[in-house]
Amino acid sequence: MKDFITKKGIYIAIAAVVIAIIAAVSVAISGGRGDLASMLSQPFFRPLRSAVTALVDSLESIYNYMYSYDEMEAENQELRNRVAQLEEEYREYTQMSQEVDRLRELLGFSETREELKFTPVSVISWTASNFASSFTISRGSNAGIELYDAVVTSTGYLVGQVTGVTASSATVTTILDTTMSIGARVYESGGTGVAQGDFQLFLDSKLKMSYLSEDDEIIIGDTVVTSGEGGLFPSDLVIGYVDSLVASSSGLDDYAIIRPAADINGVTDVYVVTETAISGSEVQ
Amino acid sequence: MGRQRNRVLLKIIIVVPYMLVLYIFQSMVFPYLKISGVAPLLLPLAVAGAALFNGRAAGGVIGIFAGILCDLSFNQSTIVFTIFLAVAGVLLGAICDSVLVKGFPSYLLCCTCLLILCGFVQMFPLVFLHGVSILPLIGVVFRQTIYSVFFTIPIYYMARFVSRII
Repeated sequence: MKDFITKKGIYIAIAAVVIAIIAAVSVAISGGRGDLASMLSQPFFRPLRSAVTALVDSLESIYNYMYSYDEMEAENQELRNRVAQLEEEYREYTQMSQEVDRLRELLGFSETREELKFTPVSVISWTASNFASSFTISRGSNAGIELYDAVVTSTGYLVGQVTGVTASSATVTTILDTTMSIGARVYESGGTGVAQGDFQLFLDSKLKMSYLSEDDEIIIGDTVVTSGEGGLFPSDLVIGYVDSLVASSSGLDDYAIIRPAADINGVTDVYVVTETAISGSEVQ
Repeated sequence: MGRQRNRVLLKIIIVVPYMLVLYIFQSMVFPYLKISGVAPLLLPLAVAGAALFNGRAAGGVIGIFAGILCDLSFNQSTIVFTIFLAVAGVLLGAICDSVLVKGFPSYLLCCTCLLILCGFVQMFPLVFLHGVSILPLIGVVFRQTIYSVFFTIPIYYMARFVSRII
């Protein structure tokens, strides 16, 4: 090896210098973009490189797809959860909005009736009996609800009366029930009578107003309100509107059919009148 | 002694959910699914099933239980149905033991009679205490019975299944 270098060293050095000069020239010619070797090899290796690059790219895209599929799935799940959460919030918002509307209505009504105090309750269940109209509400004597308290809608329309109370629930008999009798007054004419449930009318969700005086001028569409007589109901709660008038042959048993102002069979949230000026005066 | 106690426990475990399911449907589902203004009665059908398949004792016991649940579902504090269905269960059981064959036609007959009687029990206070005219009440009893009779088919199989266990 030593002899080889001694004998041929000069040629090797010359060859190295020549290669270096050629390489420098090629770099200079290509403007620094590549060397001679690469320039010479490009035409041969380009197709191969392209093929390999394409293969690698496709493999990489498959890998990325598989890798990011998990990410996308996780993201999708996260978005689904978010949508579910937003839907839940929207439902809560809608419920709150409806509750606000009801409370606004009640506020408007209660401002006109400052002597009344209302306790909001929800309807839990309706009676299974086909011969009665009553429902159970979500609060009882623990919330200050007492027997014979009046029950109204947020707009102050009369729904019924508490006829049974436990600590945590109460039974409300509606104004449509056959057992119900309410002292009533026609708002427009001032004529008085008794609004009472009637079984035949109960099937049509109506009630009747009996014991009308012959002198009363009642016309269809008149508003019937509670008279407050007897002390069981506060006065001037709207019961309903006169739907039709039924005349008897003797004229003694005339009665008016009343269409309730409240949607009795559709109520879901009602208000129990837990304090009235009447009960306050009775206590005194 | 232990085996007998286990058997009683088994009966309770089977009967209580069976009755509660009927109660839930009668008091919480069907009041919202009225047809022609009426909802069906389901608990009396269970009493008829117990009386037919298991005799007067089971009819009486199931009758008491069903009666309590009926009174609850009717929002009434009285125990009219507790007494009525207990007595009806015992009487129906006695009739079934001696006269009727245990099959669907007998069950249908028992149910129809019991449902009509239930309707009359429901309408009597309105007639005698509140002076309600009897004709519209009978119409409701009729419609209630017809609607309820449709449920004899599924409840027959449920009652038969329960009767084999108890």
